[in-house]
This record gives sequence, structure tokens and C-alpha cells, in this order.
Amino acid sequence: MKTFPQPGAITLLVVILITCLALFLFQKIIWLVVPLLLSLMVYYCVRPVMRTLVIRGMQHETAAKLVWLVLQLMAATIVFAGGLLVVAKAGTWQNEILRYVAGGQTLLRETAGALERAVPLFQSMNLGTQVDQNFAQFTDRFAEKKLLPVFLQSLKWLPFLLLVPYIIYFMLNDSVRLKKYVIRSVPNAFFEKSLLLFSRLDTSLQNYFQGLLLLTLLDTTCLGLGLEILGIANAIWLGLAAAVLAWIPYLGSFIGCIMVVLVAATDHPESARTAYSCLALFLGVRLLDDFVFLPLTIGRKLSIHPVLTVLMLFLGGMVAGATGLVLALPLFGVIAVTGEAVSQVVTDRKLRTRYQAARQLVLSREIV
Amino acid sequence: MLAMSLDKPDTMRFFGADMNAQKFEMLKNIPIFHELSRKEILEVDELLHERVYDTGEIVFDEGDPGHGVYIIVSGKLRADPSHRLLKNTVLDFGPGELMGELSLFDEAPRTAKVIAIERTVTVALFQAEFSSLLLKNKNIGVKVLVEIARTLSRRARQLLLQEKHLPSL
Repeated sequence: MKTFPQPGAITLLVVILITCLALFLFQKIIWLVVPLLLSLMVYYCVRPVMRTLVIRGMQHETAAKLVWLVLQLMAATIVFAGGLLVVAKAGTWQNEILRYVAGGQTLLRETAGALERAVPLFQSMNLGTQVDQNFAQFTDRFAEKKLLPVFLQSLKWLPFLLLVPYIIYFMLNDSVRLKKYVIRSVPNAFFEKSLLLFSRLDTSLQNYFQGLLLLTLLDTTCLGLGLEILGIANAIWLGLAAAVLAWIPYLGSFIGCIMVVLVAATDHPESARTAYSCLALFLGVRLLDDFVFLPLTIGRKLSIHPVLTVLMLFLGGMVAGATGLVLALPLFGVIAVTGEAVSQVVTDRKLRTRYQAARQLVLSREIV
Repeated sequence: MLAMSLDKPDTMRFFGADMNAQKFEMLKNIPIFHELSRKEILEVDELLHERVYDTGEIVFDEGDPGHGVYIIVSGKLRADPSHRLLKNTVLDFGPGELMGELSLFDEAPRTAKVIAIERTVTVALFQAEFSSLLLKNKNIGVKVLVEIARTLSRRARQLLLQEKHLPSL
């Protein structure tokens, strides 16, 4: 999304402030923000399919209904299959999680032991004992203290996710009319430029969301294949979960990596090397992601300076906790582009003069 | 009368029928949409932006990058070109006339300043949306393109014969 030039220092400060304010507000209506973001992502990904149907002769509304119906069928199948899986495993999930946590503990203990043997300083520090103590503290009543709140929170979210199909249907069917409605409120002087910027913003958002999906697909393929070669069970699903988690900047990748390593350590307790190989694979894919896939897929996404990225993550975390961490970067990106577009339109001296002249005309007519 | 539906206050019509009979007639009477069926006009209407200009208001300025064509529904617009070749042209555009049609094919700067000399209602078709229309519905695209080509060739012929004509801006 490098459609617009980089904002100046003051614009940047304003964008950061607005992002923080928006994050604070969004935290209060997170039940609406997340379905909206999900809907936007799905909408931009299925829009080309709908366009193809229209180009092949289908009416716009029929194409929108068909695409929406197929999406609903897919979602229903996934929810149904997922539900069946959850019901089937309901009795064992707590033990399964504890088994993976224990697998992680064994790996840590072995690593600490190896480090103690290799570096005498670690031995004098009782590294192994300390790791054991910290781990025992962390896992004490793990399911009750850590998993239950997460599970209950997820249940609270389910009803709001029902908004997603409704929003997608609205966007597929009425986005053109919505655009017309928004543009109608723009004064004549700014009309053409606003329309142009609106069109560019729309294209950029489409590129961004489609790029993100393609990136997830590439990540899933690389991780899935790598894990399969290393002999990890359910390799593709693990790869997919890690790739989706990577949507949360930094933190998501970290959680994904821990998850993959825990599974490897538990499934192959006899060989710590497998777990380390998974770690290496994960780091390799991340590097590939940053230097090859990302420029290829989301090449035109917002170019945010790394320092600013970290700053926004900290600010997002401070202002809106976990929600802020997830939303900080996409929100900053959207506000930066929109702010830049609006400032381009509003600060155009020629257009402003024309707008003021038109206002004078209206005022003088009213006086007469 | 044609502009009546456009003069009404705007209402949010996301889920309702967007087109009434009066508006259909209004669009049907515009030469470039003359050949379109009701269904096709409904489709084109989705892409048209209605703009109302007060007397003396500038529609676009000479040198502005052109991003779309304006079709006059009611009222009158006057071109004020600085180029000497355009000095002999008819400078007033009335209902049904196209203005800025060249920008549908390139984004070259506008060749004249255009001002509303009376309250004027226009519908604007943006270049990007016109391109997507050509892709989405070739039938409509061809019909509209033929009408635009007719207008362009008529104006070009008049220019060659040095007759009074409306300029392509």
C-alpha cells in the first residue's frame, strides 16, 4: 500500500494519537471490531470471485447471494466438523494439554541439564532446579487458572461472530451503494480527487488482505511440509495454526513457535533434537517470510518503519492490552493511509479555494 | 423535470429499490445510455455519481488531471479554454451533452476551465468504474463506448470542417 507518500512528523504524531484513541475506544466495542475486521478480510478475498461471476453474465445480486451461500456452507461445515471433534475429545482435552506441557518441561529440563554440563557457571547457579521450580509454579492448576478463563472468554465471543456473515452479505451486496453514499457527502470541489483516493484505498486494502491470505497459505505449506518431514503428527494443521497465529505481530509468532516445539517435544520425548529442529524450521520460515514471502505477497502493504512498529505495539499493549497488540498495526496502517488521503484532499490549495468560492456562492444566494 | 429525482434530498437507500421510473426515464434520455435496456440502466446507475453545481461554481479547472466524464442532466455549463484552437468552438454545454469524455481513455489534464452558468445537475462516470463496467458487462460497455465514439467523431468532423462544435475537453 505505498500508494501515498510517507506522512510528515506532525501528521505521524496525529496518526499515532488517533490510533491510540481508536484502540481505547475499540477495546470497549471489541465485539464489533473483530467481526468487522474478519468480514473485511473475507470480503476482499471473495470479491474477485464475485466479480468473475458477474463478468460471466451473472447478475450482481445473484452473484453476491451465491458467493455468500457458498461461504456459509463452508463455515457451517468447518463449525460442524470442529464441533464433532471437540465433543469427541471433550473428556481428554485437559489431560492432553497437560501432557504437552509436561513434554515441554522435559525438554526444558534436558536443555538445562545439557547447559549445566557444558557451562560450569550454570551448574553453580542450579539452572536445572530453577527451571523446574519456575515451571512447577507456572503449571500449578494450569487448566483451572489459565485455560478456563480463555475458554470462557472464547464462549463469550461466539455470539458476536454471528455478525460476520451478516456484515459480509451487506458488503457483497451493497458496497457500491455505500461508496456512492459516502462520496455524495463530499463537496463538489473535492469530488474527483476523493473518488480517486477512495478507489486507490480500496485497491490497496484488497491487495493487503489478499496478500495476507496468500502469506498464510505459503507459511502453512512451508511449515506443514517441514513438520511432516520431521515426522510430527498433524503437520499441516499445526502449520496452519502457527500461520494464522502469525497474524498477531511478534506475539503470535512466539506462541506459534512454542506450540510447535511443545508438540514435537511431547511426541518425540526420546529425541530433543526433533524439538530443536522444529525450532530451527520455525525460525527459518520466519526469515523466509520476512525477506521473501512478505515482499512478494504484501509488497504493497503499508511500509511502517520497524521502530514505529515496535512503538505502536507497546502503545497498543499499554492502551488496550492484548486487543491493542493485535489491532495496533492494522489500525495504524488504515489510519495513516486515510489520514494521508484526507490531508492530500483538504490541503490542496486550489481545491480549497474552489470549495470556499462555492460556499461563498451558496451564502450569497441565501442572503439574497 | 428530468432532474427532479436528483434534486430530492438524499436518502440512504442501501436495501431499497434504488431506481424509480422518473430516474430511469432521465437516464434513458441521455444519448449515451439511449440504447441500454432497463436492466442495463440499473447496472450503470450503480456507477454514476450525481453532482449539483450552483451558478458560477467551477466543475473543473484547466490543467486538472481528468478522472471522469460528466453528463449534463439539466442546466448549462460553460467552457473557458485558453487554447486558441478551442476559441472558435461552442462553449456552452446543455442537457444530454458529454463533457470530459477524453479522460475516460487517458488521465491527461483538462483542456479548459468549466463553470456552471446556471444551476446544473450532472451525473459523473469515473474512469476506474467505467473500466470495471467494460470488464463486467461487455454488452453495456460496447453500447456506451459506441455512443461516446459517435460523439467524439461528430466533434472531430466538425473541427475538421471548421464548423461550430462542442469541444472534447
